[in-house]
Amino acid sequence: MQMCKRTISFALVALCAGAIATAARAQDAPRGDAANGKRLYMDNNCFTCHGHAGQGGAYNGPAPVLAKTAMPFEGFLFQLRTPSNDMPAYAASVIPDQGVADILAFVQSLPGPRNAKDIAILKD
Amino acid sequence: MSKRRNLESSERRNFLKGAGLVGAAAALTPAAASAQVSAPKPNLKAAVPGPKQVAVETQPPSKDPVNQTSSGGDFMVDVLRTLDIDYLAMNCASAFRGIHESFINYGKNTKPEILTCPHEEIAVHMAQGYAKMEGKPMLMMCHGTVGLQHASMALYNAWCDRVPVYVMIGNIIEGDKRAPGVEWVHSAIDPAALVRDFVKWDDQPASLQHFAESAVRAYKIAMTPPMGPVLLSLDAELQENSIADAESLRIPRLARVVPPVADAGAITEAAKMLAAAENPVIICDRLARTPAGMARLVELAETLQCAVIDNVGRMNFPSRHPLNQSFRRAIIGQADVILGIEMNDLYGSLNAFSDRIVRTTRPTAKKTAKVISLGLRDTYLKANYQDFGRYQDVDLAIAGDGEASLVPLIDAVKRLADPSRKAAYDARGKKLAAAHQAMVEQSKSDATIGWEASPITTARMCAEVYAQIKDEDWSMVGTSIRLSWPHRLWNFDKPHRWNGVSGGAGVGYNLPASLGAALANKRHGRFTVSFGGDGDFMFAPGTLWTAAHHRIPMLYIVQNNRAYHQEYMYLTAMAARRSRGIENAHVGTTLTDPNIDFATIARGFGAHGEGPITDPNQLAPALKRAIAAVKSGQPALVDVVADMR
Repeated sequence: MQMCKRTISFALVALCAGAIATAARAQDAPRGDAANGKRLYMDNNCFTCHGHAGQGGAYNGPAPVLAKTAMPFEGFLFQLRTPSNDMPAYAASVIPDQGVADILAFVQSLPGPRNAKDIAILKD
Repeated sequence: MSKRRNLESSERRNFLKGAGLVGAAAALTPAAASAQVSAPKPNLKAAVPGPKQVAVETQPPSKDPVNQTSSGGDFMVDVLRTLDIDYLAMNCASAFRGIHESFINYGKNTKPEILTCPHEEIAVHMAQGYAKMEGKPMLMMCHGTVGLQHASMALYNAWCDRVPVYVMIGNIIEGDKRAPGVEWVHSAIDPAALVRDFVKWDDQPASLQHFAESAVRAYKIAMTPPMGPVLLSLDAELQENSIADAESLRIPRLARVVPPVADAGAITEAAKMLAAAENPVIICDRLARTPAGMARLVELAETLQCAVIDNVGRMNFPSRHPLNQSFRRAIIGQADVILGIEMNDLYGSLNAFSDRIVRTTRPTAKKTAKVISLGLRDTYLKANYQDFGRYQDVDLAIAGDGEASLVPLIDAVKRLADPSRKAAYDARGKKLAAAHQAMVEQSKSDATIGWEASPITTARMCAEVYAQIKDEDWSMVGTSIRLSWPHRLWNFDKPHRWNGVSGGAGVGYNLPASLGAALANKRHGRFTVSFGGDGDFMFAPGTLWTAAHHRIPMLYIVQNNRAYHQEYMYLTAMAARRSRGIENAHVGTTLTDPNIDFATIARGFGAHGEGPITDPNQLAPALKRAIAAVKSGQPALVDVVADMR
């Protein structure tokens, strides 16, 4: 039990530190250009797994929804450079940090989910 | 072995040989004369035919009949009719002309009725799709060499899918009976060797009685779980020639096949583990062989109030059943007892694989989880092709047909279930139901993203199709790779709503296998719908001609992403891994320039064609027109320019 409390305390401290660091880095994140981000999203085949509308899809496993993502720049960059699961890694020589920021701006500009109840054919 | 008795032909050949020598001598004479002036004059008298040769040349041969009153092919048809086979899918070939004629004239083209297929791969895949829907095999017939070579990939799919397909090939066994040229290159000593790694049994009967026994044996073997394709090689002499000893021929009786049920002790042990478990999970793949399979799995799951993960190899479990957790696979990590039934790849379901530079796996189940396997997969394997998957540790491996063994398993679980735990079972079931409902709502929400987009999202495409067919007695018999939206959004609530996938992942399965299933559905008055990729379609587009020719109604939706998309993504991953940019990943993986006009192709084959549809709001009207065509008895295709996944 004591061990468990220590672990939780450590995790909370680490989480807070991480959040502060992320917030600080987010202020330093490059401003994204959604129009250029759209071009990069298509040219770099992001759409092949995540869809033209950022609706998500599948590669070897599920490819998550990107439309209206709340993921911060640092997290988005980390995923592109050192992705989890089977997503291909995109090196800075292929998509520089500014390009990543542009792609993030583009996917954040995409419309997210609507209320399914507003679409008649999704009621059944 | 029957023999052609061509004594007269032999005499003719002798005669021709003699005439040839005389002719040759005559032809040489002028040159010889000019070279050897002093040589004696040739004896011209020898060139005049004698009385025997004149008789051979001018009188009808005494033992070269031009008619026959019986044929081995007719007897073969009589034998096959005892097996209650409705259809024969084939592409015509001289190697089986003897039995082909018997089918159409002696058999009157009924039981079986011939389905003309413009490719052998179409014929086998039709038989595969049909068998999964109708529960019995279709005959498939092809040439023993080149035809079987065409058919082989489809046979591999049927093998991996554990589906009975009854293949017959033609061959000419005796070398002296083969015509020079093509009949030699179309003959083989052991034609079945090509596919022996992925058929369950084969034979090359040497007599008509041998055929009768092997034909019945083949059916029994194909239909005994684990099911699989079988093959008979039919000697052309046997098919074509007269029956020498009709009075001695006998057609064996086909016994009712009873599938093997698991050992009672093992069933009791499994039931104890399941009944005592806190979080049991059932995973299944090719479980439901008959309509009874789904009902039995529902009964077991409801008795235990446990999670079910359906790998959709068959129509195993209703998609909207509250215990269906197929889209919540993380639940495997909470399981303390896992029961895998008729699993093709249990390892793959209990481990996560990472397709990285260093390929690794990690278990997704708890180390302490007890694993039970139930099925017949291990009872019939072959070594070469690796469709058996990676070895999975299990605590209790029960050999027995999954569907049949569910009956005693349900009884045992009901006997062993402690009434004091009923409240715990019910609470577990309620949690699972809530999670299932949340998953359904999440799926609907996800489906709205990009609702108005073009290319049309696959979610919108599937939702639009369902809106048009949900009030029909529909049956979905095919899907493009990783298109899971129907199983997320549609109500699969009856055994005929679904019939599984290819088995061997051999592309080219979907269109012809869907047509085979549609043929089965036609007899039951069901509305057949299928999704298929554009890449798959291009392997066997002639299937649509067969559909139109035989008036088989089917709504076929082409998910046209203009690529072999899975490969496109693999190539993207390779290029990204090497940091070389991925701009060239389309080379060799896409189907553009020119874009393929599938609707025009469909119309060219005599089917109804709609599309290409690029505007999502034009999809519903196009579907309505196509559905009207299907209801009039036609096959109809709708080309939907859709997103990748």
